[in-house]
Amino acid sequence: MNNVLAEADEIPVTLVVALAYGTLAVVTNMFGPGEEFVQNLHTFGWLTPGLATDGQAWRLLSHAFLHGGIVHLVFNLTSLFALGPALERSLGSVRFALLYVLSALGGGLAVCVCYEPGQPVVGGSGALFGMMGAVVAMNMRSGRHAFAFLDFEGPRRFLGTIVLNLVLGFALTFVSNTAHIGGLLAGFVVTFLWLRPGDGNSPLLKRWRLATTALFAGLLFASLVPVTRFDWLLQQADATADMQQREALLRAAVRALPPSLRPAEQPPRKR
Amino acid sequence: MLAMPPALRTSLRQLPLVCVWLLAAWPLLLWLVHSSDPELAVAIAEHTANGLWSGLWWCAGSTLVLCLIFPPAPAWLRLAMTRTWRTLAMDQAPLRRALSELRHFETGARHAEIGRLARLREQNSLALHHLARAVELEDGVAGTWHQLGLILFQQQEWHSACNAFLRAETLDPGHAFGDALLYLGRALHELKDPTALTTLRTHQQRHGGGPRSHVWFAEACQRANAGQEALIALRQAAAPPRQRLSAEENWFRARARVRLWGKGSDP
Repeated sequence: MNNVLAEADEIPVTLVVALAYGTLAVVTNMFGPGEEFVQNLHTFGWLTPGLATDGQAWRLLSHAFLHGGIVHLVFNLTSLFALGPALERSLGSVRFALLYVLSALGGGLAVCVCYEPGQPVVGGSGALFGMMGAVVAMNMRSGRHAFAFLDFEGPRRFLGTIVLNLVLGFALTFVSNTAHIGGLLAGFVVTFLWLRPGDGNSPLLKRWRLATTALFAGLLFASLVPVTRFDWLLQQADATADMQQREALLRAAVRALPPSLRPAEQPPRKR
Repeated sequence: MLAMPPALRTSLRQLPLVCVWLLAAWPLLLWLVHSSDPELAVAIAEHTANGLWSGLWWCAGSTLVLCLIFPPAPAWLRLAMTRTWRTLAMDQAPLRRALSELRHFETGARHAEIGRLARLREQNSLALHHLARAVELEDGVAGTWHQLGLILFQQQEWHSACNAFLRAETLDPGHAFGDALLYLGRALHELKDPTALTTLRTHQQRHGGGPRSHVWFAEACQRANAGQEALIALRQAAAPPRQRLSAEENWFRARARVRLWGKGSDP
């Protein structure tokens, strides 16, 4: 910790993120009564796909600074200090900040696209997985060829750590592995295509940059305007005054309901 | 044929990019449909998701069936995976270094080296350009003609490939352990030239060969109605290898085995 404080000017973003974690843990009253804590998490920005489409898109980012308990907070702070300083020194503070934000957004978008509307998510682990993706991308960029880093034991172990974390995420039901995978992919893509370019003028790289930017925009659009999700369709039906349109939206909403919630079809009556 | 048509190869390389664009455009397309018929948008999304899942299962099932009914399928998969890995994992630095060295001083040898490095990295247009320039500057190097021939062979320019291999073979008989002669024979076979069989037989007599040369020789024999000789060549191609074969040679061995099964002969 002394080293970290002595070199604070080199890693301002890591420290700011850690401070934000700590401050929000205090503000949300993490150590207080459970109900109040949950209410505070909701107020300060937990992410549910339903809230994100309800005009609260800021939750796509805010959820990455909140934590669901002391163990969660300590685990993520440890990971942040394990990865953040080296990565920030390597990428530079501005790029590192950009990486954190985009990875957090990537995790949030994955949650919005895949989860049920009311499922809440908190935690910076999507962004932390983004940092892991960034390390892999930097390894791939700095070798003689894309997979040269696999010749070395350190990077191979790092890949093993990522896989182990993902397996743990699948095994523990309360962990959102969707956000982890979203963050991992976002961090990898951002670093591989933008932050550590190989041939800056390569037409192929430019094409991939354009395509991935379009994909990010498309996912953002799908998260904010989920035209195939029942709750959003119901909201639209409530908001419209046109009866014909309302009926069409209601029909679409019924069709979009998850199978468990769909009304059972009545058997035809015999005359 | 082993070589994939260049147009198909280019299209396949663009496929991942096209998939990313489709994925990016998908929400917008659904929204456009939704604005006219919300139920249709949901139905399209539902059917697409179901279709993708079914497609995945079909792909897995059909791969399994393909392996059972068409035994070279595993050999083909190994070849495809080897080529993909080679493309992804090939070091680009030597090619870049050779290209930067060329800026300072131009010689035929340097162009030939770039051509060779580019061909190994499947950058065929770059390789062709530099090899053509190399033979312009120095036309007495068998290796350069051989590399040029290989590129032209891959692009199915049979006449030009024949000329290039012939020059290589003339300049250095038995060049590249007979590789130039083998490819010359195959290019002549593609041109339906009657001397193809003689050339391939000469190659067999002088250099022996592996599954590839045996299969090509067998095909030339079949065209010349020398069925017994073709059968012997196929048996030689299908024989258990003494050492691990490369993915390409293994593919030819698998083809030979299947042909023998087709003829009712035990490989």
